[in-house]
Amino acid sequence: MRSYAQMVSKRFILKRLLLLIPVLLGVGTLVFAVLHLSPGDPARVILGQRASAQEVADLREGLGLNDPIWIQYLRFLWEAAQFEFGESYKIFQGQTVKSVLVDKLPVTIELALYGQIIGITLGIPLGILSAVKQDSVVDHVTRIGALTGISVPIFWSGPLVILLFATYLDWLPTSGRIGATIFLDDTWMPFTFLPEGFSQQLPWFGGPVVISKATEWPLTGMVTIDTLLLQNWEAFISAGQHLLLPSAVIGIYSMALISRMMRSSMLEVVRQDYMRTARAKGQGAKITIMKHGLRNAFIPVVTVIGIQFGTLLGGAVLTETVFGIGGIGVMLVNAIEVSDYNLVQGTVLTFALLFTLVNLGVDITYSYLDPRIQQ
Amino acid sequence: MASTDRNVDRRSFLKAAGGAAAATTLAGCGGSPTETATDEPADDDTPAGDDTPTDTPSPTEGGMEPEGTLVFSRGSHSQTLDPQQTTSGEDVKVTNQMYNQLIQFAPGGGGKLEEGLASEWSLEGTTATLTLKEGISFHNGEEFTASDFRATFRRFTDSEYEYYLGDAASGYAGFTLGSWIDSVDDSSDYELTIELTQQYAPFLRNLAMFASSVISEARIEELGSDQAQLGQEYGGAGTGPFQLDTLDNSNERILLTANTEFWGRGPFVAEVIFNTIGENSTRAQSLINGESHIIDGIGAQASQQIQDAGSAELLQKDGINIGYMAMNQANVEPFRSKEVRQAISYAINTEAIVNNIYEGFASQADQPIPPNVLGYNDDLDPYPQDKDQAQTLLEEAGYGDGFSFELATFKNPRGYNPSPIQTAEQVRSDLSDIGIEVTINQQSFGPFLDYTLAGKHDACFLGWYTDNADPDNFYYALLHPQVGEDVLGDSEYMTWDMENINGLNVAAYANREYMTLVEEGQQTYDEAERRSKYEQAGQIAHDDAPWVFIDYAKTLEGMNTEVVDPDTYTLSSIGGPYVNTIQLN
Repeated sequence: MRSYAQMVSKRFILKRLLLLIPVLLGVGTLVFAVLHLSPGDPARVILGQRASAQEVADLREGLGLNDPIWIQYLRFLWEAAQFEFGESYKIFQGQTVKSVLVDKLPVTIELALYGQIIGITLGIPLGILSAVKQDSVVDHVTRIGALTGISVPIFWSGPLVILLFATYLDWLPTSGRIGATIFLDDTWMPFTFLPEGFSQQLPWFGGPVVISKATEWPLTGMVTIDTLLLQNWEAFISAGQHLLLPSAVIGIYSMALISRMMRSSMLEVVRQDYMRTARAKGQGAKITIMKHGLRNAFIPVVTVIGIQFGTLLGGAVLTETVFGIGGIGVMLVNAIEVSDYNLVQGTVLTFALLFTLVNLGVDITYSYLDPRIQQ
Repeated sequence: MASTDRNVDRRSFLKAAGGAAAATTLAGCGGSPTETATDEPADDDTPAGDDTPTDTPSPTEGGMEPEGTLVFSRGSHSQTLDPQQTTSGEDVKVTNQMYNQLIQFAPGGGGKLEEGLASEWSLEGTTATLTLKEGISFHNGEEFTASDFRATFRRFTDSEYEYYLGDAASGYAGFTLGSWIDSVDDSSDYELTIELTQQYAPFLRNLAMFASSVISEARIEELGSDQAQLGQEYGGAGTGPFQLDTLDNSNERILLTANTEFWGRGPFVAEVIFNTIGENSTRAQSLINGESHIIDGIGAQASQQIQDAGSAELLQKDGINIGYMAMNQANVEPFRSKEVRQAISYAINTEAIVNNIYEGFASQADQPIPPNVLGYNDDLDPYPQDKDQAQTLLEEAGYGDGFSFELATFKNPRGYNPSPIQTAEQVRSDLSDIGIEVTINQQSFGPFLDYTLAGKHDACFLGWYTDNADPDNFYYALLHPQVGEDVLGDSEYMTWDMENINGLNVAAYANREYMTLVEEGQQTYDEAERRSKYEQAGQIAHDDAPWVFIDYAKTLEGMNTEVVDPDTYTLSSIGGPYVNTIQLN
């Protein structure tokens, strides 16, 4: 029985992974078409006002923008299939899109992650509480709070909390991810606990690595994690202070959505026959809700969390702008503005990939919560 | 007026250079910095006031260890650290700390020239000769010699050169050096001879532009086929007061550390951080809180915040720029009539635009160059708003019933036009009063440039921040078709289907008398004669009104009281910011 379940699950995941291909192809084609059909010449943007028409024409030729559009399209597809998007034209002139993403993605993911953690840890208990104590004061307060959380836009609540906590109270910094004067190392040494002289070669992507006391490992790009890895406590506190407000603003929005979903889903579940049966058999209320109710009520909530995470990635642009965090959202908007084709294409495709992967994760969670979903 | 005595230039330079360290540098190279500098356009014409370097003693005189970390916050992060790959003022703020030019703009912003890596220079006929300073090192330890400049020049413009930057080179390649230089002779280590393609008065000023920053030849060779990489992470290639420590793209910051071997004044701070805070008001708040020491990119609201705070002050200087509305004679027939253009100039209330929309951080323009540039014609005044006069002129021209045109504008604020959409609305409403119907076409700046420089617009807003504070940089760059009779034929305006025309001339202006004066000005080395030519050109442009002259924008900066900068050298309308000249309390 168990092996059957495992097999189904593997087939299920494989099927979903294969579905990624048409999704990404569609997104890629769409973004390519939109960019190339919209006005604006990257060559002119790169060279600026001072360049002559001839210089602009030469650069267009150099960038391959004079080739027939289908050749450009095929070239783009071929490169994208290898996760190569060329170099950024303008925003990070000369840097490969891949390395820009390595720099920028963790910034946005970190923010989205904390936002989501706050949303989940507050939203789920509040939703349950609200459902179990339906129509009580707790329920009303939670529901009104959630409604407010959803209705208040980030571009309004953001500046407001900055004004309160940074300007008037002066408790927290105004913007950024870490104190302006704190610079972290690029790498850390994870194996300092190894004895002197120990050296072991291990296989790794792109060639084996030697593991020893002095081995240096790249950092994650997420300031709160990196500062911990580097055991730089002052920097860790600074990073925490900087991320508190933006994560809270995102988190409250997310919490509102999750708690509302949790409440209505829970209300539906507690009215089911099996719940009554469990209670009738003498099981305590708490245990019934936790054991039988929660698991079933989670299914729609997990969907919301999955979609919400994608929205957080994409929608982070507002939060990033308000809190002066140079993440991928702001970068993407700037890149579109200056027709930085390569950067826009690479970023959008990466977003699409992340979004589909998160949702794949959601689907897998479903099949764990309710095995019937696999069928 | 600033002094017309060249020796004063030298004296103020020596003061500016300050202290024993600088004195030794000078003793080493010997000679008067400007003895042979027979051709310094605009140098002696710099008006007094805020923009002139003063004789105030420097905050510290040589010999002190750089101390403290200065945080300079701005609106956007650098796109590249390579002076040859950028067209953005944001990038230049950082490259100017890392690199030097042969000749440089004196701190203070008036556009005076002073010694850079060269101690003496002359321009005669088509030959420029420069004597280079000895004993200056790049951050990578290599000594600076004439061959570094030659390599710099070839990397930028010479497709035959092994290390040619190619596609990555910015539009400044031809504009600054390539179009004017025929050959560079570096056969002597400390003597540069540059042959020009023609007599070209602004040339020495071009050498002071950021795009002429000297890059270490050794570094160029090391980069090999990866020249574009100089813009990312690679330090060590300059001689400037600060060197690159960390380029932190994730957090949009750049950390520079003091170059203790720097040949000039300072640096007095040990570290400079160029930090990015996108929101104007948040940036101002961080200045007030003391998280930032200096900020720029200040709008009306932010300037109010700074003025209200006790911990920071708002500094302002006259900029060297112009904002205008160009009327494209190639596309709109009525614009070919001088009366129509004048009528439009009379109808638009530029005073209201400058005072109400730009909130007083600009002054009304009356000719193509601002007052602090050589050849500014003092006799001219802005067109006053006079709708009756405008109506009369329109009737004289045969357009009494009006006509219609499309006004192209960019959406986001730019220095010379902080509120483009509002400005466009003002134009539309003013012109509708005299029967001219305006439709506004707003675009992002990239597509907008593409649209206007290809001549597709009827009329457009545009503006210009000077590159070298030379009148030629306005008159020739913006209002001259840059082709002769052979191309223009008997057409009284330029069109975009003509060969090799200057696309930046978005008014398609081609007044022959004006063109002759500007061409002569470009080749005239005698300053008085040159000034007179530009004064005449200014008069013609004013009367012809190919543009509606809108404004000369001020340059603003917010500074925390922690910073000691009595001469406000970090606020510069050209060159700089001279972070090397300041210290922290």
